[in-house]
Amino acid sequence: MLTAAAVLIIAGAILLTFYVREKDIPATAPASPGAYLDDRKAQIYENLRDLQFEFRVGKLSDEDYQKTKLELQSELAKVLAEMDRIRGAAPKAAAAPAAPPPSPTIFVCRHCSARFERSLKFCGECGKSMTGDAV
Amino acid sequence: MENLGAIAILLAFCLSIYSVLSSVVGARKQKPLLTISGQRAVYAIWALLTTASALLVYALIVGDFRLAYVAKHSNRAMPALYKVAAWWGGMEGSLLLWAWVLSSYSALVVFTCRNKFRDMMPYVTAILMAVQCFFLVLIGFIENPFQVLAVGKGITEVPDGNGLNPLLQYWTMAIHPPTLYMGYVGFVVPFAFAIGSLITKQPGDAWIHTTRRWTIITWGFQSTGILLGAGWAYAVLGWGGYWGWDPVENASLLPWITATAFLHSVMMQEKKGMMKVWNMVLISATFFLCIFGTFLTRSGIVGSVHAFAQSPIGKYFVAFLAVGIAATVYLILDRLEYLKSEAQLESVISRESSFLFNNLILLASCFAVLWGTIFPVISEAVTGEKISVDAPFYNRVNVPIGLFLLFLTGVGPLIAWRRSSFESLKRAFLWPTVIGVMVMVGAVAGGSRHFYATVSFGLCAFVTGTIGMEFWKGSRAIAHKTSQNLIAAAVELTHRNTRRYGGYIVHMGIVLMFIGFTGAAFNKDGTHDVKVGDKFSIGRYELKIRDLLDGDNENYSWRKAAVDISVGGEQIDTLEPEQRVYKASRQPTSEVAIRRRLNEDLYLNFAGVTNDGRNLAIIQSYVFPLVTWIWVGFYVLMAGTLICLVPPKVKMQYLKTETVGYVKQNVPVS
Amino acid sequence: MSQYPSSSVAMRSFRPFLLILLAGLCLAQQSSDMLTPAIRRVGDRLACLCGSCKNTVATCQMLGCHYSAPARERIAKLQSQGMGDDAIIEDFIKREGKRALAAPPAEGFHLLSWAMPFISIAIGLWVIYLFVKRYQRPASAAAPIDRAALDRYKDEIDKDLAKLE
Repeated sequence: MLTAAAVLIIAGAILLTFYVREKDIPATAPASPGAYLDDRKAQIYENLRDLQFEFRVGKLSDEDYQKTKLELQSELAKVLAEMDRIRGAAPKAAAAPAAPPPSPTIFVCRHCSARFERSLKFCGECGKSMTGDAV
Repeated sequence: MENLGAIAILLAFCLSIYSVLSSVVGARKQKPLLTISGQRAVYAIWALLTTASALLVYALIVGDFRLAYVAKHSNRAMPALYKVAAWWGGMEGSLLLWAWVLSSYSALVVFTCRNKFRDMMPYVTAILMAVQCFFLVLIGFIENPFQVLAVGKGITEVPDGNGLNPLLQYWTMAIHPPTLYMGYVGFVVPFAFAIGSLITKQPGDAWIHTTRRWTIITWGFQSTGILLGAGWAYAVLGWGGYWGWDPVENASLLPWITATAFLHSVMMQEKKGMMKVWNMVLISATFFLCIFGTFLTRSGIVGSVHAFAQSPIGKYFVAFLAVGIAATVYLILDRLEYLKSEAQLESVISRESSFLFNNLILLASCFAVLWGTIFPVISEAVTGEKISVDAPFYNRVNVPIGLFLLFLTGVGPLIAWRRSSFESLKRAFLWPTVIGVMVMVGAVAGGSRHFYATVSFGLCAFVTGTIGMEFWKGSRAIAHKTSQNLIAAAVELTHRNTRRYGGYIVHMGIVLMFIGFTGAAFNKDGTHDVKVGDKFSIGRYELKIRDLLDGDNENYSWRKAAVDISVGGEQIDTLEPEQRVYKASRQPTSEVAIRRRLNEDLYLNFAGVTNDGRNLAIIQSYVFPLVTWIWVGFYVLMAGTLICLVPPKVKMQYLKTETVGYVKQNVPVS
Repeated sequence: MSQYPSSSVAMRSFRPFLLILLAGLCLAQQSSDMLTPAIRRVGDRLACLCGSCKNTVATCQMLGCHYSAPARERIAKLQSQGMGDDAIIEDFIKREGKRALAAPPAEGFHLLSWAMPFISIAIGLWVIYLFVKRYQRPASAAAPIDRAALDRYKDEIDKDLAKLE
């Protein structure tokens, strides 16, 4: 009984460790090169939100608030620019007046005007139907 | 059975080495099959150690006294709970517990991150398993829990064991070691992620986002473990002390302090990308202090009441610490460029600088405790003369440091990030300062002649004021905007930024604990030889011995006194302090009687019987003002910690629009 | 505790078998309250050397402690002979060595024990000073703000931020 349990446990442990097949490799999505920029961006938004709140409860003087806000916004702009650069797309605003975005069609939700790079059944922002919204 | 246990540990040891090698080689040579196999080994090790632990617990419960460990730490008469608790009652078992907790954590980490961090995970696994390997060396080859007594070779069969140390037969003590270990071991995980991201030079702060909750939970366990130990000492040791500056108590405090510093300074890295080197240093220091703490507990290098088991494993710990620290320092120095700060300090008056000071003071108190703990060893090595470093030293050094820290707890949160002006500071500090000063004046008027105690009460009021202001101002702003009432607005406020407001609640818990510590300045005590009918008094209480009783059961003999308590001639309570002598170990213990109230505890200890022929009962009586606030503060601290873990209510929708097109790895939820 | 068989006989003395059991464990148990304020004053400066205890002679509450109890009696005896506090401390050091003191003496090498925590704070302050000097943005040089980039993304930022609130 005990011997059987011992053999079972040991065999199980060894099998688990050494019997690895190709299909056991999890399909890890390739890390997005800009993933850390997303984090950074989320953080700066969080900082901005925080700043606004602290200003509202009176922890900052108006002057300090304006200064810090400008700094955070310019940091954010840098991050956004970097994201655009990584994605290889032309900066939106700069390119927009001259010519419509060159590469894939942008899909805009008619309810909340959120923009997406591919066709969606429902808007990722407001959740309303988006069929036939191509622009 | 013991063979199965020993084989399981041996195999786990082999697999841990395999896991380290296959993970590293697999990562270097880009062979995913190897790294997967290395991760599988983590699960296998968990299964094996679970088997070994189950076998040991089974042996303890059925009383298999052939095993040396069982004979030493268990006996037949013990209640089942303490038979299980004997798992960590001795050296071998507690090392096994360490290894098992680590293997469980490792399995959890490998499982939850199975689809993440393809380049970093193999190194995380390797570091976890390297630590695992070290503990398996100790369990497998030096302190084997499955050692069998050599029955027949001069040792007759053991009919019954020694039993668990009776001092440990108390419920908080039964869960104190595992809780503390869950804290100690838990810090291995953030350390492994930190080093893993350092080795692979991960962009961004993924390791911090991934381990943030982990660190907070671990910190919570560590706090709980320390407080359980304090609560145990208070209720069991018979003199009402909850902290004795014992080396092992200090050992559990040290990583807690560095972890606290880390939890604060890591915000600088998250918010602004600063202090990256420092955070690396802090998390590494926390990890190594955890190992050092286990080393202190287990090697008995510094004399201690906790040195229940001492053995020659010290040199292995020293070797592990030396190699580990050297490797970590090399890695950090080698990758200074990767750890370069991304931002600058905008102003000296800013939240950033308050964090710098907070870290300085936390580290200074950590160093003072560490220094006091090891100074006797250093001094003996240098001067050849033994000296004592006792409670007076720690109190004299740490009380001012602690009070300054309390002050910073109040100041820090009121200063805005990046820059603040004197004007807004003046506005923010006016009322808290007024409250603090008023309390100090009140304390002096109320008869407090104790300098530190007066200052401490004042600071507690000051910090409470600042925290109250934060909640009030925030809630008012929200209430104003959403026309909710203030309570609902406060809940909403906390929910919006759980980490910050949870953190404030933790601060509040610390303040309450400081109130409890401060009460110690006004303790009273007395010792009396009494017979039935005798009366004496302590503080405002009059005590009368109503009865003296004795008796015994199969586990211990006992005797106790029934003491009527009255105040101003009116009886308010009856306390029954008791003394027990455990039969298996022939060790006396006190079952003290405590009348716990928020303003003060009345604490009676049946200390013994005079042996001068009169056979009088010796009753030690104490009044401990405010001590209950330590435990209240702890509950508040835990509540705050749990709130920190609640995901904040923030709409992060802008992330979605940006991340369509590629898979997001981890959505930050700060 | 009522689940245990208890003898509710009001006792004048405890049962003999328990006394025998306890006698070997508890040496010289006398409550003799030796803690007058004068003894406490001296005892607070002396370490209890009963083994692993971290208390002072004045605060060790272990009954029948084989070190602190006799030590308190000794302090009382020396005080009755008219010895001053320092002389009594000297006497203890002569008998036990420097370890008789509750905290390291502030002299020679032992001075380090007191100085180090505060030296560490000083070093820490200095490190903070260096850190601030190294990382503080000079007040005159305002943050470099890329106006063009900022303008380009301003709408997007404002829109996202409005959504957050």
